[in-house]
Amino acid sequence: MSESTTTATSAATVVAADARRFTTFGTRVSVVLAQRVSILVLVLVLVFVAIDLLPGSAARAALGRDATEEQISAAEQSLGLDRALPVRFLIWFKGLLTGDLGTTVRGTPITEILASTFPSTLLLGGLALALTTMAALLGGALWALRPRSAGARVLSPATTMVIAVPEFVIATLLVLAFSLGTGWFPAVTITDSAGGPLDSSMLVLPVIALAIPQSGWNIRVTRAALHEAAQAPHVLAAVLDGLPHRHVLLRHILPIALPTIATSLATSVGMLLGGALVVETIFNYPGIGSVLSGSVADRDAALVASVVALTGAAITCVLLAADLLRAWSVRGRA
Amino acid sequence: MTFSRRQFISAGLGTTALIALAACSSSESSDGSGNPSSGGTLRVGALGQPSKIERDPHQTLSNDSDFLITSLVYDALTVPGENPNVAPRLASEWTQLEDLRKWKFTLAEGATFHDGTPVTSEDAVWSLRRLREIAGETKVPVASVEDIVSDGPSAVVITTAAPNRELPLLLRLMTFVVKKDTTDFTTPVGTGPFKLESYRDGNARLVRNENWHGGTPLLEAIEVTRFDSTTAMANAVIAQQIDLASNVGAVAGRTADGRDNLTVVRRPNDVVIPIVMRTSDGPFADPRVREALRLAVDRDAMVKQVTSGYGTVANDVLGTGDPTYDWSLKQRSRDIEKAKQLLREAGFDTGQTYTLFTKEEAAGEVDSAKLFSTQARDIGVTIDVVTQDANVFYDETWLKAPLYTANWGTNDSVIFFASKVMYSGTKWNESGFRDPEFDAAYLEALAAPDDDTYAKASRTLQEIEYARGGYLVWGMADGVDVASSKVQGLPQLGGYGRVQLEKTWLSS
Repeated sequence: MSESTTTATSAATVVAADARRFTTFGTRVSVVLAQRVSILVLVLVLVFVAIDLLPGSAARAALGRDATEEQISAAEQSLGLDRALPVRFLIWFKGLLTGDLGTTVRGTPITEILASTFPSTLLLGGLALALTTMAALLGGALWALRPRSAGARVLSPATTMVIAVPEFVIATLLVLAFSLGTGWFPAVTITDSAGGPLDSSMLVLPVIALAIPQSGWNIRVTRAALHEAAQAPHVLAAVLDGLPHRHVLLRHILPIALPTIATSLATSVGMLLGGALVVETIFNYPGIGSVLSGSVADRDAALVASVVALTGAAITCVLLAADLLRAWSVRGRA
Repeated sequence: MTFSRRQFISAGLGTTALIALAACSSSESSDGSGNPSSGGTLRVGALGQPSKIERDPHQTLSNDSDFLITSLVYDALTVPGENPNVAPRLASEWTQLEDLRKWKFTLAEGATFHDGTPVTSEDAVWSLRRLREIAGETKVPVASVEDIVSDGPSAVVITTAAPNRELPLLLRLMTFVVKKDTTDFTTPVGTGPFKLESYRDGNARLVRNENWHGGTPLLEAIEVTRFDSTTAMANAVIAQQIDLASNVGAVAGRTADGRDNLTVVRRPNDVVIPIVMRTSDGPFADPRVREALRLAVDRDAMVKQVTSGYGTVANDVLGTGDPTYDWSLKQRSRDIEKAKQLLREAGFDTGQTYTLFTKEEAAGEVDSAKLFSTQARDIGVTIDVVTQDANVFYDETWLKAPLYTANWGTNDSVIFFASKVMYSGTKWNESGFRDPEFDAAYLEALAAPDDDTYAKASRTLQEIEYARGGYLVWGMADGVDVASSKVQGLPQLGGYGRVQLEKTWLSS
């Protein structure tokens, strides 16, 4: 508990310091964006290097064991795999900027693969984020405002516990209990001819499996942020004035706590997308997870980097939104 | 050369037997009547990775899901059977011509494409030539595409470099025939028992081809769902979201065994996971050392632990499902004393640590290596198991290392293994095997003018493998499918035989 309080405090300090450093809103946005984009580019370079360092050849992976040495070198040449690593990266990166990511080692256009799988992953992650947000606000508020209630007493150990349990364990338990055991929900996702889940009930268990571990962390952060905000002098004054609980919470406490909560939720997006890769496999959900694992096995650097670029861009957008919210909420105090 | 006709007839008998079998099993079900009934949609799960999706029937189809869809939409000239192991499909019969290098395949009468146009030899020649160009000699063993020609409107003649009795076998489920000049397969026009209605990312819905030359299939439609993992596929069949989990594996089989609304189908001789010992050089070049290792292995324990009991003990000969398999060879079993003695005689260095390379490819492959290394300790041989990434394995270890695990899915042909991995001329000589007697028997089998000569040569091949080959074949893993109890007439053959769903039906 003390750990999350510290995090919330330091986050609040950072917020205040950052806000002082930048004068205008526009400058701040562009600087943050530049920082985030350069980190993303660095990560993409690392992805290319890492795939290159892995033993094994992409051409052989694509052609299988039947392939002769001549076929493999011909394929390497036509895929441009015989070129130096920096050249390959630059060609791919240029394609990224123009929207043409090239093809996989098996010849399928990369944009086609991403277009057919990434929306599903975004849907799964988005729903899980919404559920996490709801759980964080409700659970955090309950815990902060009624610390001696039965709910708060359950939340304290429960949140610690679910943080420690990985998604695949939760997913497996959910399947056992709510599908194979009771038959309430489908065990896996079957797609319709358009590529989406055949039935929306198929989303229930994957979304819950993803949201549970993230909720644990976010409830604790929310509770700490609300608790801290409640100590502010003007909040105490409002309470002493006899204003209703709900009014104090919504008007006085939440505005102070919100930036911290939003940042915490935004950082959860990365974890959510990472967890989605695991959860997708367990529920046979048609997302980007299996594309990523398959492309690493295939040593397909361009495909791996494209997946990373796309998820990275999604995470960057959410983090940026959290930054903006923070900047907006402290605007009066900068 | 009348054997093709006989083959045709006995294939027909095989089919009858299969239907009879299906009828038997259905009498236990609620249906009771036991007569195959028409209609219904079969929902099938099959394994496949999205990055490996392939729709061109002449490219390498690494996904089970793609292979299943392709083999329902298209017909190959021949397909796997039980005995004989080659059954007719788009080719109704085949004969070896007077020049034993030439084979003539006659197309099934009345075979048409899904758009109604009849199949001609031109389509077949074009498809075979395309397959030869893309996949090479491995799939169509002719020197050049010029060796595949039409012989009238409904026959194809294929000329191999030397007499090759295994040609009809090699063409099983590979030679998918498409319309001449087709290179775009997004809206496939095949000749197979099912037509593709919709397709997305390896998932498909197929409807039956009422005019199929092999008779109208019983099922009205088949829906194929692609699964990334066997775990998800097993959950899907238990939760009744699919009716058949194809090749779902032994672990799922064990889980499903106790449930009365599920049937576990065991298809014997599905996969072999042998330990390959290098014969040409290195520590295992002495046949006595290889025999010692073969005596060190506890075959029953291997089958029990590696295949969860869904398997059978084997006898160091590859091709266990072959109708000419030699059951008279004495079954090797564990003999620690004799193994130690052989090692002493051969002067084997037991002070060293030997590396056994393996990879997570076939189910149980890594387990088999680890268990074997434990068992080898009992004869004083220290084996260190190194698990490699499959890519690395095929780059660095395969065909080179003195000791590694392999895996093969085609197990109903002794001659197939001889030609692919043991004949001294093959490029995939996994154990560095160069044995003049073996080569002679192999050539004799290929050029055999009749069944008896062929069977005799096949037995010689097996005797040599048993006595001094480079393979430790401890057992055979079954293919394990899990199906809802209402699914009848499921394929019983190992390997790719699992895709033959045209005889399958649903009891009400």
